[in-house]
Formats: sequence, structure tokens, C-alpha cells
Amino acid sequence: MKDERDRTILPEWLPPGAAIVAGLALISTSVLLAGAARAPSREKAMWTFARPHYLMYEPRVKEWNASGHTPFDLRLLSLPAMERRMMASFLGDVPCADVLEVERRGVSRTFGGPLESVGFVDLTDTLKKEGLLEEINAPSFSPWTTRGRVFGLPHDVHPVMLGYRADLVEAAGIDVSKIETWEDFARVMKPLMADKNGDGEPDRFLLNMWETNQDHLEVLLLQAGGGFFDEHERPILDNPVNVRVLATIATWLAGPARIAADAPNFTAAGNKLKADGYVVASFFPDWMGDIWKHEIPSLGGKMKLMPLPAWDKGGRRTSVWGGTMLGIPKTAVQKPGDFDKLWEFCKALYISDQFMRDLYREGGIVTPVKKYWSDPIFDEPNAYFSGQPAGRLYINQAPNVPMRNSSPYNTFAMYRVVDALVKLTEEARQAKRYDMATLEARARVFLKEAQAQVESAIQRNVFMDQAGGGS
Amino acid sequence: MTPPTSTRGATRIAEAVGDAHVPRRRSRGLAGLIPWLFLSPFLVCFALFTLYPLVQSVVLSMQTTFGPGATRFVGVSNYRGLMQDPLFWTALRNTAVYTLGSLFIQLPLALGLALGLETPNLRGRGWVRLLLFSPSMVGVVFAAMMFSLIFEKQTGLANQGLRSLLSMVGVDWSLDFGWLQQHVMATLIIASLWMYVGFNMTFFSAALQNVRKDLIEASVVDGAGPIRRFWTVTVPAIRPVAGFVVLMSVIGSFQLFELPFIMFNNTAGPDNRAMTIVLYLFQNGFETGDLGYASAIGWALAVILVACAAVQRLTARGEEAAT
Repeated sequence: MKDERDRTILPEWLPPGAAIVAGLALISTSVLLAGAARAPSREKAMWTFARPHYLMYEPRVKEWNASGHTPFDLRLLSLPAMERRMMASFLGDVPCADVLEVERRGVSRTFGGPLESVGFVDLTDTLKKEGLLEEINAPSFSPWTTRGRVFGLPHDVHPVMLGYRADLVEAAGIDVSKIETWEDFARVMKPLMADKNGDGEPDRFLLNMWETNQDHLEVLLLQAGGGFFDEHERPILDNPVNVRVLATIATWLAGPARIAADAPNFTAAGNKLKADGYVVASFFPDWMGDIWKHEIPSLGGKMKLMPLPAWDKGGRRTSVWGGTMLGIPKTAVQKPGDFDKLWEFCKALYISDQFMRDLYREGGIVTPVKKYWSDPIFDEPNAYFSGQPAGRLYINQAPNVPMRNSSPYNTFAMYRVVDALVKLTEEARQAKRYDMATLEARARVFLKEAQAQVESAIQRNVFMDQAGGGS
Repeated sequence: MTPPTSTRGATRIAEAVGDAHVPRRRSRGLAGLIPWLFLSPFLVCFALFTLYPLVQSVVLSMQTTFGPGATRFVGVSNYRGLMQDPLFWTALRNTAVYTLGSLFIQLPLALGLALGLETPNLRGRGWVRLLLFSPSMVGVVFAAMMFSLIFEKQTGLANQGLRSLLSMVGVDWSLDFGWLQQHVMATLIIASLWMYVGFNMTFFSAALQNVRKDLIEASVVDGAGPIRRFWTVTVPAIRPVAGFVVLMSVIGSFQLFELPFIMFNNTAGPDNRAMTIVLYLFQNGFETGDLGYASAIGWALAVILVACAAVQRLTARGEEAAT
């Protein structure tokens, strides 16, 4: 025993286990101290949440860095990860990235407190001074605007059209130019729902839509002129337009006039159903075409776009789905000159003809900068949409895109309206009552419940007087 | 003579020989500090990372807050709001239904499987145990994604399988059957059954292996049949383990979050049928940003769990006293 002790280099009072722990502690502390002492990076950081955006920006950022500007480090994060880090940064007043590309629902969450607590730099005066408020399509600002102040540079317009299986429609001899309203759509397209294989079920349905899909519901509510909040961010869930839309959708989903079925987006199962022709038409914001091109290439040349059927003759033929902005967190602006450097980068990325082309070529997305809308790139035939000039079709609808709002209770309100639609549809199925009068009466009841829940949530927020609700 | 190795030893010797040079008081004081010195890393960490956040969350539950610059004290109005909030009650009801499903379906099934695997001379016992236990080694996220695909309409394995099976007996099962729309709680219970029944079975198996063989043999000699043996010998013997499994199941069920969150694509499912207490806490705290209200929900959950634990302890004590 004594011989073994003599062989170690450790003193008698230091057991080997303790020596290992102490050694590890020493190494980790040194690494931490060395990291802390390292000079701060000269690079600014930009975070984005979408891989196509990341791939599109990468060469632009490299060019920017090579041209002697303040270098930027572009990073791709998953959407939930980015939104959580952003919220943690804003709520904890700690730095995150210098420039953030954020999705619509993530941004509205940052508007829950008093105006001075919003984590993004207020861009209103800069946008006014540089004429960008006029240059950019007005509805594109609405999701980033709270209490009259704009906190983001818009990336897109995202008008919605109806993408349909031209091969099936044309084979059935249907002329879509005769479709002006949703009623026309159901009537004119009805022959496609024939039960040719004799199993008692229609072979296909006309519209890809289900009561649990909040995006589809929002598209239709906004198109009809309804929605969740008014321009003062007061909840208006039980308004007559929403009542009518919910009751009509219930007839699409259940009963003898059923025309809709569920072929979920972004899933292999849903893509299979679409490729098999289970649904004829789907809602198509401008970004959707690129996704279908990659996920369902077999439908290339079989699809076409048409404006959304209106709710009433002469009504709006489009809606809006999704949205992204570029924002500068307040924590990134520490000293004079910081904002200017970051703003120059934002403009170079979003407000350039190069970006407009990349955005359309690589993502099918139409720029919100109106002066570029006359560019011939938008007239190029799109092979996926059977040679239609998809860009031009979307731009024709862009000025009519409905305004949205940025209430922090948007998501909460949307889920409550979805709850109302689910209850309404299930009740109709159980009671087998599909007449509009009954459905509207029940929709009113369910929407009133939803309205009460949203009001109660807003009332808990003592900052909401300043946030707009009720003021 | 071996030299004294501790201060206390030195003090004792000093007392014995009356040596005035040994600093008696100081040594005792230092000796008294040593345990605290050893405990201090834990105590510091406990105070910093457990005690302080606990106290802070009580304070937060009485505030409406939006970042460091916007905090208002609102007293108990978050708790009052909770009592009047229909969504909270929906969440509580769903969680309770799921918990009851876990208790009354999962645990008897786990016990039944454990009893079945204790059958003497059973071949392949180890393999069956491994097979039943293995789902609990799979992550909840993976299981949730798998079940969301299985229960899809039209293309899901559940509807396709049922259609094929039932067509053999002339029943036409609709591929439009909405597992994830109309039968939310059933899908959650089935998914959790798949994940945890084998896990709970191992606890019961261990308990069953410790049932005294002499008692079983004595009951056989006394003429007790298998059912009587089960109720009068096996059940009392495994009661402590069963109590533990019940308590852990209740706590785990009340903390249900990932399974519905992933299965229903980050939502509470149609008409909030998959809304659980923790999911509602998450939605309020991290989606709406109402951390005060979320803290109040968290404390409501803590009170419910403490009450469940207290009931379980009282029941166990009563049974112990009765035996």
C-alpha cells in the first residue's frame, strides 16, 4: 500500500478523485475566462428562420461583406427557436441578433406591453423620411404596425389565389372564367365530385379545407372583410361577416352541399392526396408554388391559378397568408451610428432590384416594392402553372390584399374562432341541420363565446389601454 | 499511540489531560463550521436555482409583466381570473380525464402483463419484457409524431388497418374517421399506453418477484384459489409499490405536455380537446407573453399535485393502520 502511494505524484491529502474534479474545474474555468476575455466580434449577426431565405441571402451577404461594409454573419434558426430567443431577449433586456427576420405571429407577440417596451427599433420616421411608406404596398406594413408605429421592413405581399388541377377541370370541360363567387365555384365545379367508382363517396372534393386549419379560415375571413380585431385592435370576433363565413364553411364541410376535404399541407400524406386528385383546388399564396414544385413535382404542368372566388359579386378576389419582416432589436443599437449601419444592410437586402429578382425566381414571392411590379420578370411563363405568368397574376391582386392587425392576441383569437367553427360543424353533423339560418344562429352563439374569452384575456393585460385594446 | 486525526479528538485529549494550550472554544467553533462548509455548494445552488425562483414565481403570479420595464402588481387577480377562465377548466378537465385513463386503463394493464410474465416456466420472458419496455426508451417527440401519422385520416395506419380488418366481417370503416379531430383524448391515452405500459410493468414485476413464496405456499395449502391468493397475498404485498406507481402516474399525467403539443402541431387540438394544464401554461407564458398568469397556472398545478400526494399518503397510512 505504502509503495503504491509512493508511486503517485499527488500529495497524501489529495485523493485522486478530488484531483480529477479539481483539474476539470480548473480547465473549464480557464476556458470560460479565455472566452470572456476574447475581443468582441466585429461581425453583426442576422438570424432568419426559413432555409430558402437563408440560401437566397447567403450570396448577397457574402457580397456585402466583401464590399468593405460592416460584415454580417447570417444564421439559420428554426422558427420556434428563433422566436423563443427573441422573446427571451426582449423580456430579459439581453442582446440577441443585430437584425432579425421574423414571421408575422412571432412579431405580434412582442407588441403585448407598452409601446416603449417593444423590443424592435421604431422605424416609422425613417420609413417616412426615405419615402418607403409610399413606395411599399400599404397592406404589407399592417402586421408590423402597432399603435400607429411601424417596427419592421416588409419582405412580401403574399396575395392568395386558388391553385386548381387544370388537367381535371379542363378534361371535364369546365370553364373557370365563369366562376366569380364561391357559390359559382361550388356549382360550376360540382361535376368533378361525381362518384364514378360507385363506393357511395365522391371521387374527389373541390376544395382543400378543414375546420381545424386556422390558416385557411383566416384567409377566408380576411377575404370576406371579417377578422379578429378592428383597426383599434379591439376584438370583433362575433361580427356579422365572421358569422356568415363560418356558417358557409360549415356547409362546405358537412351535409349534402359538402365540397371540401382535408389534404394537409406540408405533409407526405397530404401531398399524396393532392397528387392523387383527392382535392381539386387549394389556397395558393405566392410562396406556396415553390413548395409544391419541390414537394409534388408530379403536378408540374397540371396546375393553374385563378383569383379566389369572391363572397359577393364584385367583391375581393384575393386574401393574404403569411408574412415576414426585417427588424432591428433595440439591444443592437448601443451607440450612435449603429442604427445607420444596420439600416443600410436591411435596405440593401430587401429594397434592391437584385433582391426582387431573387425573391421571385427562387421563391415565387412578389416584392412589396411597387416600383418593381412592372419588371418583365413577372410576365415570364411558369411551367408548373401550365405556362401562366404567375407573378403577373399575383401582382394584379397585390393592391387588393386585405389589411391585417398586429394584436398580441391574434393567435389566441384565431384559435378561439377555430374552436367556434369546430363546434359549429360538429353540431351540424350530429343534428344533421345544414340550413344557413340555423347555422348562422349557432355560429353567432359560438362566436360570442369566443369574443368573451378574448375580451377576458385582454382585460387581464393592464397594459392594453396603451396597447390599443379598448382605448 | 496513534496521533489524534481530528480537531474534536484533540479537544477531547486536551480535556482529559487539562492542557490549557489547546484552543478549546475555537476548535469547537471551527468543527461546527465544517459540515456547513461541505453543505455550502448544495445550499448555495439550492438557494439560487430553486428557492429564489420559487419565491420569485409567487411574486410573478401576482404581477402583469412585459419585460423588465413593464411590471405592475395586480394582487390575486391572476388567480381570480383563473377561477373564472373556461379554458383553464377545460384544461383541468382534459388533464383529469387523461389521468383517470392512465390510472384505470394503463396501471391494471401493466399489472396484468406483469402477472402474466410471472407465470412459472414461461419461455421467452426476457424478450417479451424487453419488447414491452422498449417503447419507454423512445423519446416522447418521436412517439407523438408517429402517432400523429398513424391517426391521420385517409392515409393513417389506424383507419387503413381498421378498414382492412373490418371489411372481412362486412363492415365499411370510413377513412374519414377523425381520430385527431373528434377522438383526441382516446388517441392521447392510446399513445401513452404504448409508451408507458411496459415501464410501469417493470415496477409491478419487481414487486411481484418480492412477494414471499412461503405465504403463497401457505395459502395454497390452506386451499385458497388463484383469485383469493391474488387479493389476500399478492395485492397487500405489492401495495407500497402500487402506491408509488399510482402517485408517479398522477404526477406524470398532470404534467402532460409534449405528447399533445407535438401530435396537434403546437396547438391544443380542435376545440381545445388536447388542452392540458401545462400546455395552457405554456400558451399563456410563451405565446401570449403573460408570464404572471402562467405563474398562477403553475402554482395551481402545484397545489393540485400536493393535494394528490397528500391523499395518496393518507390513504396509504389508513391502509397501514388497518393492517
